[in-house]
Amino acid sequence: MNNSPQSNDERRSRFELRTLLETSRLLIESQDPDFVLNNLLLITMGKLLVPKGMILIHKPGDASYLVSKSKGRDWLTEGSDLKVEFDQKLLDTSVIHGKKYSTVFDAIGIEKESILFNLKTSNHHLGFLCLGPKGTKQPLTGGEIEFIESLSIISSVAIANSRMFKELRHINRRLDRKVHDLNTLLELSKDFNMMVDRDEIARVFKFAMLGQMLIRTFFFALDIDGKRSIISISGIKDAPTDEDLDKLFGMEDIARTDDVKDCAFLADNNIDLLIGLRFQNEKIGVVGVGPRATMEGYGDAEINFLQSLGNLALLTIQKTLLLEEQIVKKRMEEELNLAKTIQEGLLPSPIPQIPGMEIAAVNVSSRQVGGDYFDVLKLEDNGHLLAIADVTGKGIPASLLMANLQSMLHALAPLEVTLEDATGRINDIIYENTPSDKFITFFWGKITDDGKTFKYTNAGHNPPMVFKKDQKEPILLEDGGVILGAVPTMLPYSSAEYKIEEGDLLVFFTDGVTEAMNPEQTEEYEEHRLIDCVNANRDKDANGIMNAIIRDINHFSNNIQYDDITMIILKVS
Amino acid sequence: MKNFSIAKRQVDQISVLDISGELDAHTASQLENSLKALIESKNIKIIVNCAKLDYIASAGLGVFMAYIEDVRGLGGDIKLSNMNDRVYNVFDLLGFPTLYDIVDDERDAVKAF
Repeated sequence: MNNSPQSNDERRSRFELRTLLETSRLLIESQDPDFVLNNLLLITMGKLLVPKGMILIHKPGDASYLVSKSKGRDWLTEGSDLKVEFDQKLLDTSVIHGKKYSTVFDAIGIEKESILFNLKTSNHHLGFLCLGPKGTKQPLTGGEIEFIESLSIISSVAIANSRMFKELRHINRRLDRKVHDLNTLLELSKDFNMMVDRDEIARVFKFAMLGQMLIRTFFFALDIDGKRSIISISGIKDAPTDEDLDKLFGMEDIARTDDVKDCAFLADNNIDLLIGLRFQNEKIGVVGVGPRATMEGYGDAEINFLQSLGNLALLTIQKTLLLEEQIVKKRMEEELNLAKTIQEGLLPSPIPQIPGMEIAAVNVSSRQVGGDYFDVLKLEDNGHLLAIADVTGKGIPASLLMANLQSMLHALAPLEVTLEDATGRINDIIYENTPSDKFITFFWGKITDDGKTFKYTNAGHNPPMVFKKDQKEPILLEDGGVILGAVPTMLPYSSAEYKIEEGDLLVFFTDGVTEAMNPEQTEEYEEHRLIDCVNANRDKDANGIMNAIIRDINHFSNNIQYDDITMIILKVS
Repeated sequence: MKNFSIAKRQVDQISVLDISGELDAHTASQLENSLKALIESKNIKIIVNCAKLDYIASAGLGVFMAYIEDVRGLGGDIKLSNMNDRVYNVFDLLGFPTLYDIVDDERDAVKAF
């Protein structure tokens, strides 16, 4: 029989070792601190035959302990709080028992014969395992204390592990959430890319917000060209008034509405947070969100997400506006191109040739369509009609008036009316049909079929120049009257006759020629440069002279054209 | 068109929507229309069976958020069933299980009404 004290000790220590081993395996594998603590308490109570025991878990920052487990009668109940704090020295002590710690036991409210085992890792105090006195009132032996101490260390490590595990799981989940947030942004940026319908964009934005934040109440207000309106809404009782909207746009970029007192719309609809969205530093969007169903508030991460998603929606909407603008522009351009083709059709092509003369003409618009006009028409009596005109202003309005003038001229040309009368009629029609700030400078004349006479009327147009053979200074063809469209015809227009001679050179032009500007915008081309240029190129044919003038103007203006340029060159051979 | 479809069934007083495919920004409005139609015709006991739902984006979840209060306000509910793990994970991440009944099997949802 193995009754000797030595073999008894051996048996006991083998048993203790096995218990330690099994417990440690059990505890280390467990991720559940509750299970670990319960086991620690039950094993120690059972092993030492202690009828009372509890586990206190330190609550850092709260200067208290949670009674996590409690067994036995009239000790603190499980789940209660123990307001007590100990000094660092005690927290560094592994085993606490004996008379010198009686104040500690008093503080906890347990028997002075109790014993505390510190539950700690190398740098962290987790709490205490408290054991009451044995049923036999015998003190614990050194071996027993050592055994419980070991068990406490193993349990502490297990608890620390499971805490770490829990924290990791928490972090993992937060990461998952972040990844999901990013995915949502990424996916929506792709989806938005394919959308051009603003209503659809607003709707998708709304649903993404509701789903992502778990909210019911939401609105999205937008400022498009100064007009503020709600473009998406959910769970709002009454839409905001214009006054409300102005208030919303006037708030901080991130406004928690707890601080906003004077906005009934926000209070009535339970809006918690407002996010202002900016485009090129101008606030053009406001997103408002209500409380989250999870009862979580809006932290930095949420605000960040709301801003990102909001900006995404905003940019997408901006994109659709730009796209629309572009489409309108494109259509305008197409229409202008069409107008240009039509206008070009109003100018004579090819230019009729007049026997015994060379004729060259050009019209260069500074825009797609312009207000300059020239014409050369062969008449029934084999004479020729020459016309040149300049409508005030530019672009489409000028081109419409030019077309109008062209049709009148073509209607009147075959009729038996004098130039003076016809000019008077045209003036009356233009005067009646156009706003008071629209005028036309107009010159026209008829070359008789024998090519000897040029009868003309000048209605306020830059006087055409006649360069006689061997004369440098031109004669100016000025007779006529006031510009078309300014006043009704009260005084009849006059006309004059010029006798055409061999070697004459006639230059008809619009003010785009003489008012071409130098690049510095300080000087105009003016008549004297035109006269010099014509004289320098007199020997060339009509085309050659015309091209020389255009080259000279382009050189003077460094190819920057502000106005339409129109010319007719007539050279009598 | 994206791969998404909705089929409606009636189980006694309960309307069941079988949704399949991908519920995302483009297809969310289809679900919205179905829910709206049910609510308008006073069918307010609704189960959305997600057995064939492969994917759900936030915009899809938002549709549920937008109508749950209306349905509950009328005395009904929207319950969700038969989700695969991937889809459930998204619902779970965003905190839906605190708000919605999400059950493994449609029969449990029927019983819960």
